[in-house]
Amino acid sequence: MPYFTLPDLGEGLQEAEVLEWHVKEGDTVKVDDLLLSVETAKAIVDIPAPQDGTIATLFVANGDLVHTGEPLLAFDGDEGSGSQTVVGNLQSKEDAENPDSFVVGAVSDSRPAGGTTPAIRALARHLGVNLAQIKGSGPAGSITLDDVQQHANLKHSHGDSTPLKGVARTMAKTMASAGQQVVPVSLFDQVSVSHWPQDTDITLRLIRAIVAGCRAEPAVNAWFDGESLSMRVVEKVDLGIAVDTPDGLFVPVLRDVANREPADLREGLDHLRRDVEQRKIPAKELQGATLTLSNFGTLGGRFATPVVVPPQVAIVGAGKRFVQPGIRNGELFEDTQLPVSLTFDHRALNGGQAARFLAALLADLAL
Amino acid sequence: MFTSTPYALYQCLPALAADTDWPRLVSGYRHMTLIRTFDKKAVNLQRTGKLGTYASCLGAEAIGTAGGMALHDDDYFVPYYRDHATQYLRGVPLHQILQYWGGDERGNAFPSDTAAARDLPNCVPIATQLPQAAGIATKAKLGREHAAVLATCGDGATSRGDFYETLNVAGVWQLPLVVVVNNNQWAISVPQHLQTASKSIAHKAEAAGIEGLRVDGNDLPALLDVLDYALDKARHGKGATLIEAVSYRLSDHTTADDASRYRKASELHAAWQREPVARLRQALVDADHWDAAREKQWLADCQQQVDAAVDTYLNQPPQAPTDMLDFLYAELPDSLKPQRAALAQQAGGRHA
Repeated sequence: MPYFTLPDLGEGLQEAEVLEWHVKEGDTVKVDDLLLSVETAKAIVDIPAPQDGTIATLFVANGDLVHTGEPLLAFDGDEGSGSQTVVGNLQSKEDAENPDSFVVGAVSDSRPAGGTTPAIRALARHLGVNLAQIKGSGPAGSITLDDVQQHANLKHSHGDSTPLKGVARTMAKTMASAGQQVVPVSLFDQVSVSHWPQDTDITLRLIRAIVAGCRAEPAVNAWFDGESLSMRVVEKVDLGIAVDTPDGLFVPVLRDVANREPADLREGLDHLRRDVEQRKIPAKELQGATLTLSNFGTLGGRFATPVVVPPQVAIVGAGKRFVQPGIRNGELFEDTQLPVSLTFDHRALNGGQAARFLAALLADLAL
Repeated sequence: MFTSTPYALYQCLPALAADTDWPRLVSGYRHMTLIRTFDKKAVNLQRTGKLGTYASCLGAEAIGTAGGMALHDDDYFVPYYRDHATQYLRGVPLHQILQYWGGDERGNAFPSDTAAARDLPNCVPIATQLPQAAGIATKAKLGREHAAVLATCGDGATSRGDFYETLNVAGVWQLPLVVVVNNNQWAISVPQHLQTASKSIAHKAEAAGIEGLRVDGNDLPALLDVLDYALDKARHGKGATLIEAVSYRLSDHTTADDASRYRKASELHAAWQREPVARLRQALVDADHWDAAREKQWLADCQQQVDAAVDTYLNQPPQAPTDMLDFLYAELPDSLKPQRAALAQQAGGRHA
């Protein structure tokens, strides 16, 4: 059966996500007919049929992630009747650059699974277990009978695991990398905002306060390079704004917040949020933040230790406002408090700098 | 005799002259359709893993075809990388164009019995071909050749020093050089208004003291008029010309690009309303020089020619590893001779 495998669609891009199949099994196609659309890191690409033929099997479904060289579909017919890229011999793409253990579709038995015996392969087939998803516990990482059975039990009671895609996948990678590098320390405090008018734009106040903090302690608005142990204090404050969407976390960048009018900032914020929600935000609008604000208080939660994403050196978190008893002129009153968290990378900043930044930030919020 | 107002956009299709050379336009239309069929197939070959990164010429068919038709066999052509139509008309077979984009060195060995043998290969670095074109033009002038040099580049290239240096030397030495800028509005993702503050690209000729012309790049007869004029002027020693051909890149920058990420769909849709192939076809049909039956037959012929070229391309014998040296140097430097000897010993000469 001739296979059609995912070609290298860009310049050395190793993976693509299947957006949509335009054909189904049993369909007859002619060369150059549209087969499917995939999304690489660079582009959405339509892939045409490499030959005439009837489609026997689709190996991947909409939403699947597939690596170059892995099969997309098989045509009816004899092996070798296809053209150049159509190969019958599937090769493992596990390499150092691509440590993904995710395998697509039902072709696991054509992949040389890491050290196991025919009997265990047969068992795995019987139990519907994908050997490529298993880390062997036997000698030299070989897969044992117990491994397969354990995996089958897990699958039986909890269903298949779902590989992360798109934004969620990017977030997982970014956070793992940040977690390995950063030495985080968090400071928490709260400030009375009872005097704020009812219609106060909280995000704009937070941005203004961050700018005030940066003026008091410019080193917080900086990029730190852990490899060369060098630090670059940035003059312009380009603030990353964490935005929660059904697809996952986006952090678009609001540029030069120190030198813009409130109305302009609000418009910029609305614009970014709209672009994010419509998934139309250009990649460059997600890059180059010098400091980040996570205003999770709009959803809930009081204090947090948000993750500093290098090369940034700090992140500010604003929690949900709460009321506590206050005393003014000997009288009790309902005092509204805004909780603020600051996490900083102790490789780049010391406690004094962070505290000075936070104090100036709170002082501005108290105005 | 061609005349136009300086820097005004020159057009012919809106009102074709009574003495229009219809057979030439029909022939041009055929070439444009063929190259569009070829272009579509080339993108599909890339999408199925049979071709490397490819620069589409969708929307540039008129510019490329006019260049190929206006050049004489004794002229020289110095392309950038969207000139498949010109290359084809100079005598490069379609399968060799595919070989080039498929990473096969032999694609650049243009047939010695065609005009293409005088031409330079594609140039992917931006604008570096232009000083080389000025060099060839200098050689043609000093050798008293009755020949012109046609060089092409994109709008992005006109921001490079190489471009200005070329125009300068072409002006001061009165070189027989014609530089055609395919101003397709986009330098990868950089739009025209971020590229230059110049009133037009043709205005850039002013400082070099050469003639600058603007022409509708979607208008084949206009392009032919302007190129005939400029090349003839060059051959007669009357100096260099800068031609800005205003077009629109209907494709992505290359197959490794996704223009929908930075370009409005409405803008692309509007550009399709003035694309060069359909416009010329409409003019030919209106004047009774083309019809549906001829169109159908010709499209079938185009597909056949393209399919045959693809077959030839896909069935090339494997390249010898020594080709990477043999097709790069006219005379191999001594320092590379041991390497070549080692490569030659690899049995079969097939890639792993």
